[in-house]
Amino acid sequence: MGKEESPKTTRRKTRSSVLATPPKNVVEETKASSLHPPTLSDLVLGEQGESLSANDLSSVFPGRCSQILELLRLLGLPNSPMLPIFVYGGTSTGKTSIVVETFRHLKHPFVYSSCLTCYSPPILFESVLNQLFLHPKNAANGYSSAKRCESPSDFIHFLREALFSILGNTKGLSGKVTSKRSGKANGNMIYLVGLIFISSASLDTYYSNMGYVEPIPMYLPDYTQDDLQKIFMRNQANKKLFAFFSGTKIVVFFSALIFCLFVVLRPFCRITRRVDELSPAFSPLFTKYCEPITDLNFVPNKETNQRLYNFFCTHIVPALNETFKVSSQKSPEVEVEVKERKGKGGTRKFGDCEVEQLDFHMPTSAKYLLISAFLASRNPATLDSSLFESTGDSSSQKQKRKLSDKSMEQKETTEQELLLNPGSFPKERLLAIFQCITSVGEGPLDEEEQEYGGLGIQDGNDVLMSDVLLLLFSLCSANFIGSTRYRSTVSEDMAFKSFGLHARFFCFPTNR
Amino acid sequence: MARENQAEKALCLLRSRLCDPNFAFKALSHSDDSNYSKLKFLVSSSITEACNNSILLLGPRGSGKIAVLELVLSDLLQEFPDMISVIRLSGLLHSSDNCAFKEIARQLCVEHQLVFSRMASFDDNSQFMIAMLRECGLAHKTIIFVLDEFDLFALGKQRLLYSLLDAMQSVTSQAVVIGVSSRLDADMLLDKRVRSRFSHRKLLFLPPAYEDIQRLLEHILLLPTDSSFPPDYAIAFNAKLQTILADERFKEIINTYLNLDSTVKHLLRYLFRAVSDMDLESGMLSLENFKTALSNIQRHPKLECIKDCSVLELYILVCMKRLEVKEQNSYNFNAVMKEYKSIHDSVKTADYFARNVCLRAFEHLLQRELIGFADNRGQNQSIEFSPVKLLISSHELHQGMKSYGSCPAILQQLMDRQK
Repeated sequence: MGKEESPKTTRRKTRSSVLATPPKNVVEETKASSLHPPTLSDLVLGEQGESLSANDLSSVFPGRCSQILELLRLLGLPNSPMLPIFVYGGTSTGKTSIVVETFRHLKHPFVYSSCLTCYSPPILFESVLNQLFLHPKNAANGYSSAKRCESPSDFIHFLREALFSILGNTKGLSGKVTSKRSGKANGNMIYLVGLIFISSASLDTYYSNMGYVEPIPMYLPDYTQDDLQKIFMRNQANKKLFAFFSGTKIVVFFSALIFCLFVVLRPFCRITRRVDELSPAFSPLFTKYCEPITDLNFVPNKETNQRLYNFFCTHIVPALNETFKVSSQKSPEVEVEVKERKGKGGTRKFGDCEVEQLDFHMPTSAKYLLISAFLASRNPATLDSSLFESTGDSSSQKQKRKLSDKSMEQKETTEQELLLNPGSFPKERLLAIFQCITSVGEGPLDEEEQEYGGLGIQDGNDVLMSDVLLLLFSLCSANFIGSTRYRSTVSEDMAFKSFGLHARFFCFPTNR
Repeated sequence: MARENQAEKALCLLRSRLCDPNFAFKALSHSDDSNYSKLKFLVSSSITEACNNSILLLGPRGSGKIAVLELVLSDLLQEFPDMISVIRLSGLLHSSDNCAFKEIARQLCVEHQLVFSRMASFDDNSQFMIAMLRECGLAHKTIIFVLDEFDLFALGKQRLLYSLLDAMQSVTSQAVVIGVSSRLDADMLLDKRVRSRFSHRKLLFLPPAYEDIQRLLEHILLLPTDSSFPPDYAIAFNAKLQTILADERFKEIINTYLNLDSTVKHLLRYLFRAVSDMDLESGMLSLENFKTALSNIQRHPKLECIKDCSVLELYILVCMKRLEVKEQNSYNFNAVMKEYKSIHDSVKTADYFARNVCLRAFEHLLQRELIGFADNRGQNQSIEFSPVKLLISSHELHQGMKSYGSCPAILQQLMDRQK
């Protein structure tokens, strides 16, 4: 998986680009056949002349030296057979990359199939057979497979055929009928067949009473903090920020970078050590770190380093508490408007706390609906009459419930209280509350709505029921309201955020 | 170096011996009352006396049923050339009757250089099989049917078994049906009609005794002292190996390993792992190889998972443990967050993170299968509200935290306080 930004060296690539056979000649669509027939060497990764030494392999994968050695030992020499190997470990620990790059180093041909892409057995069979028959799926043959293979018994049969053809051809044994059942060729065979399984689950989750040859497990643990430091240093070393510096500044930059990485890695490693989660978190931090450095007047000395460090540290803690930040692109008009509004105070005040604005725009009626859902979830139905009735008289409106209903509800409410789940409510209740709120909310309109020419809801009766239902569906699909049983899944913060000043009108007591 | 070449050659030889189960079982098949001899006697007598026979080979997985069968068949193919044809079926691949008959027809066609048509129907194939049986019987050729995973053929209507065994009785045929299964009660699965036509011969394959294991180890690991290896190297290698085999520690390692599963295949897997670690510079095996192979092959996956967790994930696990100890039977992510917050309020830890970060760590734990949803309803609700439970015991969690490199001391205390 392409986790890091594309590095300068060609060795670390995404899985799909690594496995696509590089076209040796420019193959145009009109050319039906390539200049040379496909051979076994097409299954070998890498160009003819290039070679990857074992040291290069270890340096490409920091912290995986012992695992690479173990893999090489288990694979053994080219002319010795092997038992199946089972490589397992957490996500983005480098399992597939290490196996593929090891084969590139050994210059062994291999066949690769991913069980995510080949999600059903016939697809898996056909993928393996296509690779073994050296059959590319292109426009010339209508993107069809070499052999149509549905059942496992057909697969075994074709597999034998394919191995015969691909291994027999290299030794010129294609004419001979070899030994009957076993499918092995007589004579000197250089290539033997082995299996490697890669999985993120450990071997004990796969046990079943089937007669398979049990593979030898090989474990790739998550990276340690030192390994992560080396990985990120390798990538940052290729950054084009080098262009800004020269001479001694590069040395200073490097040492500062090492220090910066260490300072950042330590707290982040307490949260997660997965490379694919750390790298999107680090790149904005790194750009922030480089902001003062790229200033041409930057002179590296003790004082500026200290200032840089202090400036940087203030950014680390908020970054720790973010999982994913996409900065939205604002249109130029909105930006102008925001600048104007900043003069008036960007955040609204609600009570004592500052309530920030939502990051995205919601139509006002959707906001009303969200608030109604939130209140319906958090308050039991019995409070509705007292809160929403214009007369505010609750005593005459008590409903007598059936005993069985009441006990069921009690059980559900205790369970919900235990799980801190938001309560579920029927659609009619939601709509009733919505009607009440919108009729109440005729009061002083927000500044925002005044600017937009009062597009807010003036009178609840004006809103068509079909529009309200449409809004309800869109909120359900955005997962603000749970869809199997209507319940509000937003937190209090979000509810207040979406409404800002309007929430002042609705300080209903909530149970939790 | 010449030494390295010898070492490489020795390594290749050992690996190919270990990957080939037939080699290992040759050593165990010398005595007269071994399964090998009995099977060979049965099949060869039915060939020479031109009669039909059926037998079941039963035993746990990896005890050498197919290996011994292959040894017998290869010997017989040499003894009686052109008088035997072998048809191999597997219950995993050919359990449906259509598939099985097609495969029989295909193999018979290949055997006798006939043209096989894939379009033949089920009836065509079954009639072809019966016709071939008759013809081969008249020509005094024995057809040996090997049915691997025999218990899978006994599911369903057992049409294949019935037609095979029926044909053997009614048609002038010479056939031997050898069923191989790891279920020791495979013959109980047979239908009444099928069972009446089946001769109740069974050969039981059991894991080898301790002395046999010793002999097996020597047979596999000692280098041959003939001319394929330079004599001084082979003699030195064998001497070193004998000292290792006699060592008490080695015997302990082997016993520990075989306590789990004492079949030969299991042992071969372990030996492969040990042998592939052989040091190519010295060209000798050492006790260290065997020790590290044991720890590499016997893994503790949950412990490894816990060691891979980050500190935040450990906090979540400890919070869940505490909730369980407080006898709160069902709890969800929100409850865990409450507990997390209360821990932070009572002890000012440095590891207090925002809710979304904790949710992501929670999802990681779900992926690693250290925690799981308590019921299937959880699939419809979002992750925060579905009840969850721990999938590891408190002992495993304790052990994991002890072997964790930089586990914060507060976590250990929190776990212990509840105990």
